[in-house]
Amino acid sequence: MASIQGSDVRKVVVACEAGMGSSVLLVTQLRDRLKGTDVVVEHSPVSQIPADADVIVCHQGLEATARGVAPGKVVVPFSMFLGDPAFDRVVGAITEGTPLEG
Amino acid sequence: MATAMPVPVGATGGWRARVQRFGGFLAGMVIPNIGAFLAWGLITAFFIPTGWIPSEDLAQLVGPMIFFLLPILIGYTGGNLVHGQRGAVVGAIATMGVAIGGFVGTEVDGELVQTPMFIGAMIMGPLGGWLIKQFDQAVMHRVRTGFEMLVGTFSAGILGAILAVLAYWVIGPPVAVISSAAGDVVDYLVDNTLLPLTSVIVEPAKVLFLNNAINHGVLAPLGVAEAAETGKAIHFMIETNPGPGLGLLLAYWFFGPRSLRPSAPGAIIIHFFGGIHEIYFPYVLMRPITILGMIAGGMAGVFTFLVTDAGLTATPSPGSIFAYMAVTPKGGHGVVLLGVAVAAAVSFAVNALLLKMTVHEEDEVVMPETATVGPAPATA
Repeated sequence: MASIQGSDVRKVVVACEAGMGSSVLLVTQLRDRLKGTDVVVEHSPVSQIPADADVIVCHQGLEATARGVAPGKVVVPFSMFLGDPAFDRVVGAITEGTPLEG
Repeated sequence: MATAMPVPVGATGGWRARVQRFGGFLAGMVIPNIGAFLAWGLITAFFIPTGWIPSEDLAQLVGPMIFFLLPILIGYTGGNLVHGQRGAVVGAIATMGVAIGGFVGTEVDGELVQTPMFIGAMIMGPLGGWLIKQFDQAVMHRVRTGFEMLVGTFSAGILGAILAVLAYWVIGPPVAVISSAAGDVVDYLVDNTLLPLTSVIVEPAKVLFLNNAINHGVLAPLGVAEAAETGKAIHFMIETNPGPGLGLLLAYWFFGPRSLRPSAPGAIIIHFFGGIHEIYFPYVLMRPITILGMIAGGMAGVFTFLVTDAGLTATPSPGSIFAYMAVTPKGGHGVVLLGVAVAAAVSFAVNALLLKMTVHEEDEVVMPETATVGPAPATA
């Protein structure tokens, strides 16, 4: 289980299978909620998560793949695309600088 | 640590992660190029003899695009996934060999069969990328200063040329035979009205996030071959029908757990109009019994498409109703909409029943365990 201080997060990557559909939808939402911070939110295919990602957000079905691609990184899985508490957890940790585990 | 915590639905590794990675790789070659598929679908829908504005002149675009442009884009992207720009170039050259072979044709059962080489491209693209990657890793660091460009160019050119010839001779014919056999299986299912049975496999696989693998990896390549021949294919409509998902989300809206109902309308818009089917998968996963409703809806949709002889000219991607309408051939819109509506209605009816039976006022817990996975409680 990796951990990172919310205040150390520079880049959040939302991963989905192809990196063009559902991840893009979530990036728009997360960017909106992280407005005012200097955190970068990007989307990518789960197989090509960039090395400088601090936090990876992906559906729980892709969690195993994401952990394989980015070992040691904080991976926050979610189950619902809209209104999942996992997003609140990420946004909360970043805006308040608290630890984020996953 | 994955073993120490409660395993959330579907997050287990093993075969599914492997299939998904493989499928994701296939989809990763196709999806970035989907705009070209749409362009081809539109040109076909407009200019072939049965199209909106038939034009013998412009219809000449149809063949070369499907036999060359689309496979080469796939092969290029496949090579790029493996080894960047150099992999892409060698992958594209290698794909050209197999594509030309498909265009020239292979004799199958005494008949000369032309094959748009999508499967061949999915093999040759990554193979070309992988081989030049091996070369680069073995040789490039030993090259004398100043000769890097020369060696780089010649290695890519020579390897590409060899692979193109090999692909033309060795890879193309078996792929043509396999493609033709797979097409025959689908034809058999169509002829015997068995095609709806595919939903029994497709719908559950879909919600396990194998949707792109199934559609772009299997059904679309078969469909493209069919559409190149007859102008439309039902293959494109098996996985992509937005009807079953619409029915499920409507059922959740009216009969789901109260705390989930407000999220349904937004999900409907994203699913049905935006075409991002992933949005409804969690709703199935949290009440796995609803997979029965999805299968019923999917089967009803495919059955309707089948008996009305519906088809699309290209794969509707993303699976939005707008994409459906865009790639429907002239005169086909009524039956296509009918199939989507029937699928939605059946899925709604069955899922509504299933939800009524399983949702009770007391079990208002809705978020499955992921939200609090791990030792730390959610800090929301």
